[in-house]
Amino acid sequence: MSVTQQALAVGRSFAGARARRHAWFGGLHGADYIWAIAFALPYIAIFLAFVVYPIAFGIWMGSDPALYEQLFSDPRYLTSVLNTLLYVVIGVNVKMFLAFLLSGFFFRKGWWVKGLMVIFILPWATPALPAYMSIHWFLNGQWGMLNNILYELFGFDGPVYLNDRWTGLACNIGAYIWKTLPFWTVILLAGRMAVPQDLYEAAAVDGASRMHKFAHITLPLMANLYLVCVLLDMVFALGDFNSTYFVSGGGPAMSTEVLATLGIRYAFTVALPRLGVATVMSALPVLIPLVIILMRRLRPSEGQL
Amino acid sequence: MCWLNQGFIPEEDAAMRQVAEDYIKASGNKLDYSIMPFMALNQKTISALTSGDVPDLVFMDAPSSIIPQNAWDDKIVDVSDVVAPYESQLSETAKLCSTFYNKATKKRGYYLCPIKQGATPFHIWGDLVEKAGLKMEEIPKDWDGIWTYLKQAQAPLRSKGMRRLYACGLQITTVGPNDGNNLFAHFMIANGGENIVTSDGKLHTDDPKVREAAIKSVEFMTNLYKEGVVPPEALSWNDADDNNGYHEKLFMMDFDGTLSTELAMIKNKKAFYEEMKTLAPVNKNDGTPMKTQVNAGGGYIPKGAKNVEVAKDFMKYFMQPKVMNANLKAGLGRWVPAIPQLVKDDPFWLSTDMPCLKPYVTEAVLNPTLPVFEGFTPAWGQANAEQLWGQAHADVIKNGMKPADAVDKAFKRCNEIFAKVAM
Repeated sequence: MSVTQQALAVGRSFAGARARRHAWFGGLHGADYIWAIAFALPYIAIFLAFVVYPIAFGIWMGSDPALYEQLFSDPRYLTSVLNTLLYVVIGVNVKMFLAFLLSGFFFRKGWWVKGLMVIFILPWATPALPAYMSIHWFLNGQWGMLNNILYELFGFDGPVYLNDRWTGLACNIGAYIWKTLPFWTVILLAGRMAVPQDLYEAAAVDGASRMHKFAHITLPLMANLYLVCVLLDMVFALGDFNSTYFVSGGGPAMSTEVLATLGIRYAFTVALPRLGVATVMSALPVLIPLVIILMRRLRPSEGQL
Repeated sequence: MCWLNQGFIPEEDAAMRQVAEDYIKASGNKLDYSIMPFMALNQKTISALTSGDVPDLVFMDAPSSIIPQNAWDDKIVDVSDVVAPYESQLSETAKLCSTFYNKATKKRGYYLCPIKQGATPFHIWGDLVEKAGLKMEEIPKDWDGIWTYLKQAQAPLRSKGMRRLYACGLQITTVGPNDGNNLFAHFMIANGGENIVTSDGKLHTDDPKVREAAIKSVEFMTNLYKEGVVPPEALSWNDADDNNGYHEKLFMMDFDGTLSTELAMIKNKKAFYEEMKTLAPVNKNDGTPMKTQVNAGGGYIPKGAKNVEVAKDFMKYFMQPKVMNANLKAGLGRWVPAIPQLVKDDPFWLSTDMPCLKPYVTEAVLNPTLPVFEGFTPAWGQANAEQLWGQAHADVIKNGMKPADAVDKAFKRCNEIFAKVAM
């Protein structure tokens, strides 16, 4: 290799390193770089303090294998796992389907639709605790409003809803759907509004029916958003504590407990916080894949909202 | 920093602030305190004990779910030196409710400075008893007899238009956290099974007398339920459901801890002074006097507290009989003093115009009492938290199990829990 060739090779290697460094520093130089760090530092500190530290502390608290041995020996644990799965799968999917249908309804024009929307949003705007406690009393088999209405109108009492595992679980899921349905309806409504109207107009010119427009424009364009919403809500539902705790209280006979309420019971009723954390940690094998899929779905793609 | 338990009525909070302010004046020490609701205090304290970032003092009405486990784990400061000057004056039950086993030191010691104690009386709508054609003074003395007599009120009251009224607010709940366990413990005592756990922390499920008492208890309670004199929803009641239902006269009687049931209605003069009656259990089912369970409240100091000496000094001040008495009187007697002589010396306790106070004080202080079993071993707290006894009732009512089988199932699980906590 000639001297010139050697010099060129060294030059290329410097240029490569400089480019890598340039890319690593986000294309910033000197004072700009220092300013960027200064602006980012508070966020990094907050992220470390309120995201990394709690997660690491939680993992440390639930890291003793003996906790899981104790957990799996509790007969209520398996019941809670099954309930959690039912709660998440049914609660999220029924809600999202309803939200999708309702978003179509609220997409209509008219002042009364807007007025109805305001009323429809109220359950979501109401604080969770009084809302769920009201439902608990509303469903009370003896003195609740629902059975009193049934008696006044039809002369018979409904069942004691919270006294049976399956009706109790259905009530918890129903309450969860009722509380969060408006939020997801609004999100999907925003998605519908983002679909370019030109597409519908072009389809109309081509003689497409409403069903065709729905099947070939709305559905494909909304599919990604719908899936992201489902995944996100599954993550929320896995950790949801309020509905079960305040509606059925986990009863009867702890048959409607979910992992979140069982964890709270261990942590604060039995005063075994590590076992409580381990209970919630045991949902991680489901939670982590959900988050990974969610992240992958959030990548930008063409032809999707 | 002191974390203090919010009371059930505003008067209790005012009384607590008064003690703190009086101490600041008397000692010259600074006391930074905050008052918070029981459940919040419970959760905050458990979190603090777990993380190690603890307050100097926690003052709690019923710390029996926290102290046994944390004393066992050596996470609480031994306060024997604070209690010692008053030890001879304290009730035996308050002493037992304040001493816990530490597995590091391998001995029991004082981990709670007891100030107050509370019992569980019957709360009865006397006007409904009369309306049903029954008489308060004819209520039998024995435990089962009380329930059996009062359940008769349901039919006549319903025939008078109270369509949804139930006679007995029996909390055979599996939701908890405490009411169902407390009820079961009293049924056990009434049936001669009070030795299910002894003060050495040992479980005696192998004692035939204990097993028989448990079977009788489960049988009696589930029979009441099946007869339809207990609201069906009682199986799923939470802590407040029985109070709310009782206050609305949806059932005629309730068996619930302290006088909070009555004091919550103190502004309704007719209800408080005329209609509501408070009744202390008298005899067990064998006719001998019944000891009811008493829980103690007070202050404890987490290990790692920065100002242990000030915390101890505050509790020394609080434990003075005069200060203790003034504080509990100001709280309208929902909790009674841990020093029995006080209720004998101060006419407030037994000669007040509050009709609920005398029977309650008699039960909680003057009658023979037992400490709650949680103090004997953390394992009992876990058995309660798993709602084993409520589960036994549910097994009989919902799963058609025989009471003996339901009890054996609960005992089996209880044995497993106790096996992990060897004293």
